Amino acid sequence: MTFASYLLLGLVAGLVIYDFAQLRGKNRRALVLEVVVYVIGGFFIAFPGRATDLAHFVGIGRGVDFLLYPIVIWLVRESLLSRRRRLQEDERMAELTRAVAILEARELPAKTEAARQG
Amino acid sequence: MPVAILMPVFDEASRLARTLERVRERAEAMGGVTVFVVDDGSERAVDGSTLPGPGDAFRVVLARHVVNLGQGAALETARQLALRSAELDVFVTMDSDGQHCADDALSLVQAVRAGADVAFGDRFLGDSEIPPSRRALLHGARVFERVLTGLCLNDAHNGLRAFSRRAIERIPLRQSRMAHATEIKQRIARARASAEGPSLTLVEVPVTVRYSSDTRAKGQRASGAALILRDLLGQYLFGEAE
Repeated sequence: MTFASYLLLGLVAGLVIYDFAQLRGKNRRALVLEVVVYVIGGFFIAFPGRATDLAHFVGIGRGVDFLLYPIVIWLVRESLLSRRRRLQEDERMAELTRAVAILEARELPAKTEAARQG
Repeated sequence: MPVAILMPVFDEASRLARTLERVRERAEAMGGVTVFVVDDGSERAVDGSTLPGPGDAFRVVLARHVVNLGQGAALETARQLALRSAELDVFVTMDSDGQHCADDALSLVQAVRAGADVAFGDRFLGDSEIPPSRRALLHGARVFERVLTGLCLNDAHNGLRAFSRRAIERIPLRQSRMAHATEIKQRIARARASAEGPSLTLVEVPVTVRYSSDTRAKGQRASGAALILRDLLGQYLFGEAE
C-alpha cells in the first residue's frame, strides 16, 4: 500500500467516526449502509489490483473506471429523483398554503368615519 | 361586481394602497370591481386597515400565504378565490406596485366584453419608456414563447391581462414563480388546439407600463430568465401529467 492509500483509508475511517458521532441518539440504520459502502471502497483502496481484476472480468479497461461508471450513473439518477421529489414537495406546500389562505380570506369591511379621517 | 382583479403582493404595502385607490377610481366605469389581493408571505403582512375601504362598486378580498411561494402561486390563489363568485365575468391580472394603469385595465375589460377571451396588454404599442436592456430581454422571451407555444404575441411577459370566465377556468397555474407567464400561454395554446370546449380568441391591447427605479429593481432580470427556463424544464420533465 502507498502513502496515498493510507491517507484515503484514514479519511474514510474519519468520516465514519464523524457520522457516527453526529447521529448520536438518532436513527443509525443509514450508517450501516454507509459503513458497508465504505468497507467495499476501503478494500479497493487497499487492494487496487482487485478492482482491475474485476474490471477486466466485466470487460472494462481500468479498475478505477469500474468504480467510476456506476457512481456517475447512481449520482445522475439520484439527482433526477431528488429534483422530482422537490417539485412534488413544492406543489404540496403550495396547495397547503393556498388552502389556508383561502380558508382565512376575508372581505375588507367598510371603514368607520374615524378611520377614514385618521 | 362583474370584474375581478387578481393582485399578488409581496412587500409592496405602501404602493398597494395607491394602486388600489386608482382602481377604485375606475371601478364604476368597469361596472364594479372586486380586487382579490393575495399577500404572498410579505415580511410585514398587508394590513387591511391601510387599504381603501369598499364602496358601491368596489370591494377588496384579502388573503395571505403564510410563506412566500412566488407570484404564480399567489395568482393561482386569487384565481381560485375569484372563481368562487359566480357573478364575476371578467378576470384581470394586475401588478400591485403601480406600474400598471387602472385606465389600461379598463381597456382590457372592454376588449373582453367586446368578445375576446383573453386580452393581453402590449407595452410596445403604448407609451411605455422601456429600458433598452428590458426591451432586449422581452424580445428574447417573445421569440422563445413563439417557438414553445406557437402564439405570436408582441409583449411576452406583460402582467396586465384580462380573461373571460370560460378562459380563466381553463388556465390553472402550476408554476409558482415567474414561469407562470409562459405557462398561461402554453395553456391558451393547448386550449386552442384542443377539440374540447370552444377555442379561445386573443387580442393585444396597447398599455403603458410605468418604469421607476423601484419597479426596475424588482422586475425580471436576465438571471430571472434562467430561473424561468429551469422551472419550465422541471415541470416538463417531472410535472404530473394532466
